[in-house]
Parts: sequence; C-alpha cells; structure tokens
Amino acid sequence: MADKNSDPVALWQQMIGEMEKGFNAFATKAMESPEFSQAMNQAGGVTAGAQKQLGELIERYLIGMNLPSRAQMVGMAERLQNIEVQLSEIKTMLRQMNADAGAPQGGIMPRPPRTKRPPPASPPSPGEQK
Amino acid sequence: MSAAAGLDLASIPERVQSEVQRAILRSVKGVEYLSTSGPTLGSTPKDILHTRGTMNLYHYRPLADEVYRVPVLIVMATTNRGYILDLVPGQSFIEFLLKRGYDVYMLDWTAPRPEEKSLRMEDYVLDFIPDCVRRVQEDSGEQDVSVIGYCFGGVLSLLYGSIFKDGPMKNLICFTTPIDFHGMKLFSNFADRRYFDVDRLIDSVGNVPPEMILSSFEMLRPASRAVSQIQLWENIWNDEYVKSYRMFDRWATDILPLAGEYFRSITKDLMWDNKLYNGTMTVGGRKADIADIKVPILHAVAEHDHIVPYDAARHLIPRVASSDKEEVMLKGGHVSLVAGPNAVRRLWPKLDSWLAGRST
Repeated sequence: MADKNSDPVALWQQMIGEMEKGFNAFATKAMESPEFSQAMNQAGGVTAGAQKQLGELIERYLIGMNLPSRAQMVGMAERLQNIEVQLSEIKTMLRQMNADAGAPQGGIMPRPPRTKRPPPASPPSPGEQK
Repeated sequence: MSAAAGLDLASIPERVQSEVQRAILRSVKGVEYLSTSGPTLGSTPKDILHTRGTMNLYHYRPLADEVYRVPVLIVMATTNRGYILDLVPGQSFIEFLLKRGYDVYMLDWTAPRPEEKSLRMEDYVLDFIPDCVRRVQEDSGEQDVSVIGYCFGGVLSLLYGSIFKDGPMKNLICFTTPIDFHGMKLFSNFADRRYFDVDRLIDSVGNVPPEMILSSFEMLRPASRAVSQIQLWENIWNDEYVKSYRMFDRWATDILPLAGEYFRSITKDLMWDNKLYNGTMTVGGRKADIADIKVPILHAVAEHDHIVPYDAARHLIPRVASSDKEEVMLKGGHVSLVAGPNAVRRLWPKLDSWLAGRST
C-alpha cells in the first residue's frame, strides 16, 4: 500500500490543504490593514447607494406598468402570514386541550411528567472526547 | 515498498482501478447531485407556540417518558437559521436533548421584513426574549427556565440575563459567544469607524442584506469556499460526505438579513465602543453588565473558531459574578462545535452532564 508521501491523490489533497492555509493566511494579513478597510467600505458605500436608486427606479416602473409594487406584495404576504399564525395557534391550542384531557387522539400523547432525575455520576463514556 | 522511490509498485494496479471507479462514480453522482435536493433539515416534530414578525417560538414534542423539571429555551443567532441544531436524525442536537429528557423550546428568527428595519437591540433583549420566556413558563407550568444561546444568541442571552438578574433564568449556557469585539480582528477592521459609514448604509438599504453578511463571513477565509468545492468533487462518490456537505453548505449560505437599527447598535455599541467588554453597555436605557450575572453558567468555546476567536470569547467566565461557572474549550470550529460528528462526540455529552444536575 502506498504511503502518504508517494500516493499522488494524498499528495494532491495535501497540496490543496496547504494552498488553502497559505492563501487564507496571506489574505488575512492583507485584510487587517486600514487601507483594505478603506477600499472595501468605499466600494460597499457605492454599491449600497446604487442599490437604493435601483430599488426606487423599479418601484416607479412597476407603478407605471400597473403591476403590484413590493410594498403591496409585502402587505399581502403579511396578511397571509397572520392567517398562518392564527391557524398554528389554533392547532397548538387544540393539541394542548387534547393533551390536558389525557386523550391520545391522532397520535397526540399527554405530556410526560417533569420528574426526571439526573443519572448517578459516572465516568465519561468511551465515545465522549475533549 | 521501494525504499528509493517510496512507492509500492504492487499497489499501483489496485490504486488505478480504485481511481477509475471513483471517476465513473463522480460522473454518475455529479449528475445525481445536480438533479436532487439535499436532505430535509429541521424535521424534529415541533409546534409553533408563537410568531411575531421576525420572531418564532417553537416547542419540540417530547421524546422521553419523563422530562427534567426545568425547560430549556434555545436562543438562536440572529444571522442564522435554527436548523443547524436540528440537522437530520442522529445529527440533531434538539433530538439529542429530547431523548435525554429535556423539554426544549427554541427562539428562532425569520428574515425581518422591510418595515421591521426599525427593530432595535431593546426589541430583542427587552421584548422578544422576555416574551418567549413568559410563554415557555406558561406552556411548561414552570417558573425556572434554562437558556442556551449560540453565538450572537449568546450575546442576547447575556444582555437579557444581565438586566433580568433576579430571574427567571436558572442556568445559562453560551456557545462561542463574543465579549471583546475588538478580539474579532477582521470584523473589527471591516467595521473600522474611520471608513465604515454605518448610518449611510442603514439609511440606504434599511435592513442589512444577507449577501453582505455572507460576504463578510466568507472573507474571513476567502479560499475555503473554492477549496470546499474541489473537495466536494473529489468526494462526490461518497454519499455520506455529500449529505454532510449539502447540510452544512445550505445552512452556511442561508443567512438572514439584519434589522437596520439593530445592526446600527451592534456596530456602534459593540464593534466600535466595545461596551459589553467595557461593562458600559445599556439596552433601552437599562444597564446591562455581565458582571451582574449570578446564575450557573457554562461557556463552550471552539479551539479553531475563526469567526469568534478565543481572544474575543475568553472574557466571559472571568467577568460574570456566578460562583458556579465553567469554560470548556473543545476541538472544532465555530459550527462543528455545535453540529456534526465532532459535536456528537464532544459538546453534546458535556452539555448534558453539566445541565442534567441543574435541571431538577
């Protein structure tokens, strides 16, 4: 069986791993400089400004085309979400009522008692590692 | 093995055959990868106890015949989805806790809507968390609640615990929680107050877009994404590897936007003024000093955490006033500490052994 020093696949994987470490270390060093922060934030500021202008432009276009705007769609989504929330609360209430009545209907079981005690102290299991 | 070349000639045909088989499998599995979706995540049965805007409170259905008296509320980081703690059966932290007899609730987040851009730190610390704690108390019928906070969920839990120091939080567990934000060197540099105009950003975009948050995470290790894709191609014949890759990749890229005002406060109070570390943090005008926390506390940190390095996290345990406190450093990174095979072997049993005796 070839060892790690002669196995081309293992060598390739090792090389990739080393390249990753090297590049990450190099990039980290570069990104710690104030110049990087300045350049990154300048670019980010321009992008954010452009994004805002584009959003406003699209909003105006949608109104012009008599199509629902993002705000209207968000409003619709919110109403749907409210309905979903109410349905889910009704479901939870029904489940709780069933559980309180102690009637296992539709697979719903009453809640277990809160009486569990911790197991006696034992040495860590073989699978447990630091 | 030939001593001169370090090469076992007899193994070459076997090796070539294995590589040819893998190459064929790569092509077949590569097509399969593109045409199928990943495993279903977050499938442990649960009920939605309450939803309000970006906030969701889940209650997981018990999997044990008997549970500990004190319920557990998990507070997720606001940038990430809670299903990292509920991947698939056998690799789900939630399932682990349920089977060990804990009554588990989770405060999880969805993307804040544009109109939620005005949510502030006080909405999270003085409204969302107390609201969830109250609902957990009502639902469980217990006054005491143990809180587990992951990453920034840990920061929110600490702020909550500092302000509501007389209860009802009984135990606090933090995973990879930053205290000294200047210890996160790259994030600190990205947010350098001389160049980063947070007001202009928030006033322009409202909520901070998830792409921007994802980019800043990926910039911490810029080569890693490309390398992980090369590794995926090499291992695409291995179903277990692919399943694991898909789970973690999906979660890591499924980033939530952050509410604008909340992000402004994180940047100014925590990143710039380092108020949590300096003990000068206030939330909604109320002092939030972690030195006021007295409940039993466990802080789990990861040895190779590139997002929250140990320099940023190590101050938590020395600062709190609790007499019952412990920091545990485990092998792994920011995510592998809490999920995946590393977590199954290391963090989960540690947490269970710590929490069980404090949950009665």
